[in-house]
Amino acid sequence: MSLKRREFFKLAALSSAALATNSAFATDDGEVLDCRATYGVLVDTVVCIGCRKCEWACNNQHSLSTEPITAFEDKSVFETHRRPHSKAYTVVNQYSDPATSKAYTMKVQCMHCNEPACVSACIVGALNKANNGPVVYEAWKCIGCRYCMVACPFQIPAYEYDNALNPQVRKCTFCIERHLDEGNRPACVSICPNEALTFGTRQELIDLGHTRIRMQPDRYEDHVYGETEIGGTSWMYLAAADFKNTELPTLPDDAIPQHTETIQHGIFKSFVPPLALYGFLGLVMHSLRKTDNGQEDQ
Amino acid sequence: MKKIHIRLVMTTVVLVAAFAMIALGAAQQTKHQEVDTLNCLECHTCEQPTAQDMCLKPCPTLRMPTAHAKHNLSEAPDTFLIGELSDLYQPVDFNHKLHADMAQMGKGCETCHHYSPPGHIPPCADCHGGEKNPENLRQPSLKGAYHRQCLSCHREWSHDTKCIICHLPTPGGALARPGMDSTDIIGISHPVITVPDKKVYTTPYEQGPVVTLHHQQHIDLFGLRCVDCHKEENCSYCHDLQAQSRPSKTDEEIHAICNDCHIKDACSKCHDHKEKPGFSHASTGWPLNRFHKDLSCRACHPTGKQIARLNNQCTSCHAGWNQQNFSHVVTGLKLDEIHGELECGDCHVDLKYSNKPDCSGCHDDGRTAEDAPPGEYVQKLSLQ
Repeated sequence: MSLKRREFFKLAALSSAALATNSAFATDDGEVLDCRATYGVLVDTVVCIGCRKCEWACNNQHSLSTEPITAFEDKSVFETHRRPHSKAYTVVNQYSDPATSKAYTMKVQCMHCNEPACVSACIVGALNKANNGPVVYEAWKCIGCRYCMVACPFQIPAYEYDNALNPQVRKCTFCIERHLDEGNRPACVSICPNEALTFGTRQELIDLGHTRIRMQPDRYEDHVYGETEIGGTSWMYLAAADFKNTELPTLPDDAIPQHTETIQHGIFKSFVPPLALYGFLGLVMHSLRKTDNGQEDQ
Repeated sequence: MKKIHIRLVMTTVVLVAAFAMIALGAAQQTKHQEVDTLNCLECHTCEQPTAQDMCLKPCPTLRMPTAHAKHNLSEAPDTFLIGELSDLYQPVDFNHKLHADMAQMGKGCETCHHYSPPGHIPPCADCHGGEKNPENLRQPSLKGAYHRQCLSCHREWSHDTKCIICHLPTPGGALARPGMDSTDIIGISHPVITVPDKKVYTTPYEQGPVVTLHHQQHIDLFGLRCVDCHKEENCSYCHDLQAQSRPSKTDEEIHAICNDCHIKDACSKCHDHKEKPGFSHASTGWPLNRFHKDLSCRACHPTGKQIARLNNQCTSCHAGWNQQNFSHVVTGLKLDEIHGELECGDCHVDLKYSNKPDCSGCHDDGRTAEDAPPGEYVQKLSLQ
């Protein structure tokens, strides 16, 4: 059943990509990106033990804080629900499965969507989808309008409100600076002691996710979150319970930019609608002026 | 053809199983009837395995019946080291026997030894390579495999996932604490126990209900080991997951612990109406000067469990000092020629060096060492 559904979505995605360029994601090079081959990470919250080493590794990689690794063994932070911010690109939260009341932990960070709303919303092109998957931010282009923060369905981009002179948007970089193409892994993936984070291409990870669900149906909810949500995300999740209990929102399968860009691009399509509009207005003015002239003559 | 193989395998397996059962006297039924649903080559490298040469693959990937009936715990090592991880933590000293005993309460050996072919328990590293295998994302690397095996239970039972539950900090590493001996509490290497800095008890003793135990100080200053106070405490004293009350000690038992050292002290040594400050050397009437404050207690109090009171004569430690070999310049005062000839006791009355030197033995003009120095004051030498 799920396989049929997956096939359908794949077909749907591919056919829509073939049909209209505005619904498939184009990279900087103008090529349509095949998001089955881009990098992704599968987060297996069933295997995650909530050790928070990923938080430390991320802080360390991006020089966000100097707290020692032992400071992250503090479990009391799970009492409050935390969100990523400009000094922490990833945070681990704890949830409990209402059915079994068992606690499980889940890391949250930028999902590096296949068709990112933030990239679509950025008016200066400071955010871009790299060819190998990460959604990359270029601070020198950014004008600080923070449209990306409004557009993101996961509310991920954070802003350096405490930086008066040169504030930047801050979010997980997918550790693109570690050169993933050279076989390196994001800092969080490298440190995870339980290997709850698996790095690979999206297609591999989708298959892996479904394999795990098939092998241990009693341990996993039959849902790879991020496989189809809003056109698919690079970071995908497995969990023991329905995702509606977590902070991952329930989202449709249509990519967010599809709607907005269809409207926006439609209005200006080949410049025909504006020309028609102004032509029409010109006609109206012209006809009115004629009558004005006629009145003056009288 | 295939059927013949299956029969062959079946006969072999049944024979081996029967032999093992007789040999071990095990009444346990092995589940070998499940084998007939398998393809031989899932587990065997050759077409015709025999009892002599089973030609088993190291890692069959199907879940299979493990033949723990063929194995005796006595064959396995009691403890073994699980590889080094980082510069922060030492390898794990894994107590296999302890875990194996516990596993018998659960699913037996295959709780951990999954995917083990009959009659053969391969080392984890045979399947789980040191590095994550990009070809097979399904399989965790050795590090991931170990951590999953250990932490899934540890998290379930003790809700604790700190590294030091299994790993001791590397000596000299960033996390190491001086003077911690992991073996001192139960005689085997135990994960590091985090100790409180101080504990404040409320007691029924009316003249001083509050007892402050400066726990860390007892370790640091007085060099006590855990077992010096924590005697005859068994595992359940700390590892009581059901959080039932600990066996409560009687007043005599509690006092007996402290009386090892505090036998001569008055009640008010520990009991007070408010928290007492920790030990400072000044409270003994001998504040430590810059020469002494960096010394360990045992440098001056070398013997005995109890710290013996010393007199404050320099010569009780510095036995060889006299006016010929004592370099007075270390005190910051270089004696002139005349004063250098004198006996120590001529200025330091009764050889009490912490008191001000007295000039009235020779001078009757009421001078002091400050206004008429017996030499010249120089910069004090450091303790090098």
